[in-house]
Amino acid sequence: MSNEGLFSGSTENVMRWVSGAGILLGLAAAGILIVVLLRKPEWRVSAHAKWALLVGLLVLPGMTMLSGNVVGFHKVKNSCTQCHTMDRWVNDMRDPKSTTLVAKHFQNRWIPDDQCYTCHTGYGLAGNIQAKIGGLGHVTHEYVTGVPDVIKIHRPFNVDTCLHCHGESAKYLKIEQHVDAEMKPKILSGELSCFECHASPHPRKQP
Amino acid sequence: MSDAPATPPAPPAAPPGSARLITAACALGLLGIGFSLAHFVWPGPLLFALFMIVGQGSFGLALLLYVIAIFTDLRRKKVL
Repeated sequence: MSNEGLFSGSTENVMRWVSGAGILLGLAAAGILIVVLLRKPEWRVSAHAKWALLVGLLVLPGMTMLSGNVVGFHKVKNSCTQCHTMDRWVNDMRDPKSTTLVAKHFQNRWIPDDQCYTCHTGYGLAGNIQAKIGGLGHVTHEYVTGVPDVIKIHRPFNVDTCLHCHGESAKYLKIEQHVDAEMKPKILSGELSCFECHASPHPRKQP
Repeated sequence: MSDAPATPPAPPAAPPGSARLITAACALGLLGIGFSLAHFVWPGPLLFALFMIVGQGSFGLALLLYVIAIFTDLRRKKVL
């Protein structure tokens, strides 16, 4: 049985359904609001209007906004590659000759999709919210305040991002320093960055 | 002369301010829905940001105005 099709459970397909539902709900809400606006002002303050608005202004738009958040947040996960500001980093990642960590992760498909998002976002709900706020800041830089001359990471890279995949793996535990009684707590607390020993994920100088 | 019971007094008419609140709420709601529909059709970082800030902002404001209109109405009818 094919995984493609109208009822496949792939994320992209689910997002298409959510988009469609969001559009229908939005159009229905807009229809109710337009009808209310076209009626006489006396009717707009009637109990009928209030009940109509409960659906047209609260329930339907609320669901539209919710689906808009879900779809929008999913669709912008790969938007780092859409701004020319990040071209230099993206080109390095995609360069088959590059030996940086990010290039290796990309070339070996260790992270199959949304590579920038996966590494630069914390795990869990808090990570998603943080990414959302950060993304709004990036869009503001791009379109309003201008891109800074020097692009640098906003806060120290979170070690949990690396450990989420590598920590406790057999290959990781084979390295003496990773399990060393003195170094292990420092690694886990983030006091000792992975990049103290390992190569920088991106080129040290701006490529 | 009939002894028909007197009809209860009609509640005072809604003030024009209430109608204006509802009108503004509808207009802001439409604005918010417009941005959400736009970003469904043309998904991208800019429209998503506009949806997040302008669209959801105006939707939130519309809801606030709607709640104020209802609250005012209930106060006028002495329910609250």
